[in-house]
Amino acid sequence: MSEYLETTIDKFIFRVATDRLYTPEGVWALLEGNRVRIGLTDYQQQLNGDVAFVHLKPVGTKFAAGDELAEMETIKATVSFFSPVSGTLIEVNPDLELSPEVINQDPYGKGWLAVIESARWEVDRAKLIDAKAYLEWMRSQAEQELKK
Amino acid sequence: MSIPNQQTDIAILGGGPGGYVAALSAAQRGARVTLIEKNQVGGTCLNVGCIPTKVLTTSTELLLRCKRASEFGLSIPQVGVDLPRLMNYKQSTVDQLVGGVEQLLKAQRVNLVRGEGRIISPDRLLVDDGQGGKQEVSAKQIILAPGSVTAEPPIPGRDLPGVVTSTGALHIDAVPASLIVIGGGVIGLEFACIYEALGSKVTILEMAPSILPVGTDEVIAKRLQIILRRRGMLIHTGITVERIERTGESLQVSATGASGEQVFQGERVLVATGRWPNTQAMGFDEIGLQMNGRAIAVDDRLATNLPSVLAVGDAVGGWMLAHKAMVDGRVAAENATGGKRRIDYRSVPNVIFTRPEVASVGLTEAEARSEGAEVKVSQFPFSANPRARILGETDGLVRLVCEAGSGRVLGAHLMGPHATDLIAEAALAVQTGATADDLAWTTHAHPTLPEAMLEAALGFRDAAIHTHSR
Repeated sequence: MSEYLETTIDKFIFRVATDRLYTPEGVWALLEGNRVRIGLTDYQQQLNGDVAFVHLKPVGTKFAAGDELAEMETIKATVSFFSPVSGTLIEVNPDLELSPEVINQDPYGKGWLAVIESARWEVDRAKLIDAKAYLEWMRSQAEQELKK
Repeated sequence: MSIPNQQTDIAILGGGPGGYVAALSAAQRGARVTLIEKNQVGGTCLNVGCIPTKVLTTSTELLLRCKRASEFGLSIPQVGVDLPRLMNYKQSTVDQLVGGVEQLLKAQRVNLVRGEGRIISPDRLLVDDGQGGKQEVSAKQIILAPGSVTAEPPIPGRDLPGVVTSTGALHIDAVPASLIVIGGGVIGLEFACIYEALGSKVTILEMAPSILPVGTDEVIAKRLQIILRRRGMLIHTGITVERIERTGESLQVSATGASGEQVFQGERVLVATGRWPNTQAMGFDEIGLQMNGRAIAVDDRLATNLPSVLAVGDAVGGWMLAHKAMVDGRVAAENATGGKRRIDYRSVPNVIFTRPEVASVGLTEAEARSEGAEVKVSQFPFSANPRARILGETDGLVRLVCEAGSGRVLGAHLMGPHATDLIAEAALAVQTGATADDLAWTTHAHPTLPEAMLEAALGFRDAAIHTHSR
């Protein structure tokens, strides 16, 4: 089971899992052997609202870190997400087609997006931030959003 | 006994949308016209195609909306289907429209000859009324408009009771508990949605890797597949039907896919594997008419290889759509009366009356790219359109394919409420070479569904107002 950092901003509670790394855009990367499981943060799912559709690139696609991985359509917005790591897409979450709400319900667990076979984890990880750093960054983002 | 002979300027074989429009259009241009039709005027479209299926989609959509009455602040305690009255409504709608076409033909003094026609020379047809009466029609020009017939794939068991084509599926005397639809194209999906709404458990078997494999934007085809699956339809793609057998009360369809043979059970089976040009047994071979496979070969003015013979509609192949046939009819009528018009299919829309509806015109993103165009696709979801929200129909999106730089609209692909109506604006844009800016600076009334088109056009310059992308 993952452990979480938690922060409350206005009336919203946001959680950040401590066992993985993050991009500032709110994509998490969890190393599993030489594979990296990827998903969206709790903050991203709350910010964008109920997920209606997720379009992931097809299995077999090769990514450089920063390439577009997924486009997500929610009731509020269409949001693109970018791969945190380089490598080959080997698995996409099969539940997203019929039950995309798993992203909202369990962003760090059942709502994962994809698994990438990592080509150069050590290089890519250097550009990722840990849970504490993401929490701080996310707080500043969320406070700006609230001011809008 | 000599066969009576009738002289005319233009004889038209087939009174469907291609033929009757050609007849009316040629008559408007002053020609004496004889139209030969073996059944009712209106062809497949009016009698056993577009029109009766749209009666069924309309009634079944109303049924579903009534079931959602409480969402709209209404109370409708009991909602049900009255199949005999639904069938009457369907038939009376068809009869009214057939009557309307007959009236128009009469008003334009088109001579309607009932019977099976056969071309016996490039300027003569023989018509057999099926009751021993025969007559010849001699014409300066002949327009062939024989339409299409249901494709007959070689599937063993196709003739079993309970296995129907689209024509049979129009007649519903009882709602089957389960329906297996062979073919995930336009016809199969429209009937799938009709029977689903009536309460049948629907399974779709499609040979291609995706439903709507021909001519539909991939993103939209995939999205529709997801929506139908989320509603509970079973959709199997990449699967080839081997045979149909009866097992007790139900029909059993065996099909082979990547994972070997699978068996599906259903009370009824609909074979919806497309249509073929109707070009057999009308004397085409005998007079040396050049064919293109099953279709009649025509040039870009719809002329055949025989100097006085033109051909239109489903029989010339390509898109088998009533509105395409109607355009053909007008082009052929003009060219048979001294005109020199070329066919122009750039703005032929394709419309699919599924739930939600799907419509497209022009090039898909993949087609545009394969033609070497640099394109930008902008899209807008109906979930962000106020009118769609009010209607409670927020599934779907507009995808606008524009030439990068100029913004010229190359294609539009829609899924959503009234997509089949909304496509008209995009068709005009494609036909006239309008740009995304032209659409974006055309004021669209608020709150209406066409605002989704406006927003997609704004999206070309990343300037959509009522949605945001990150």
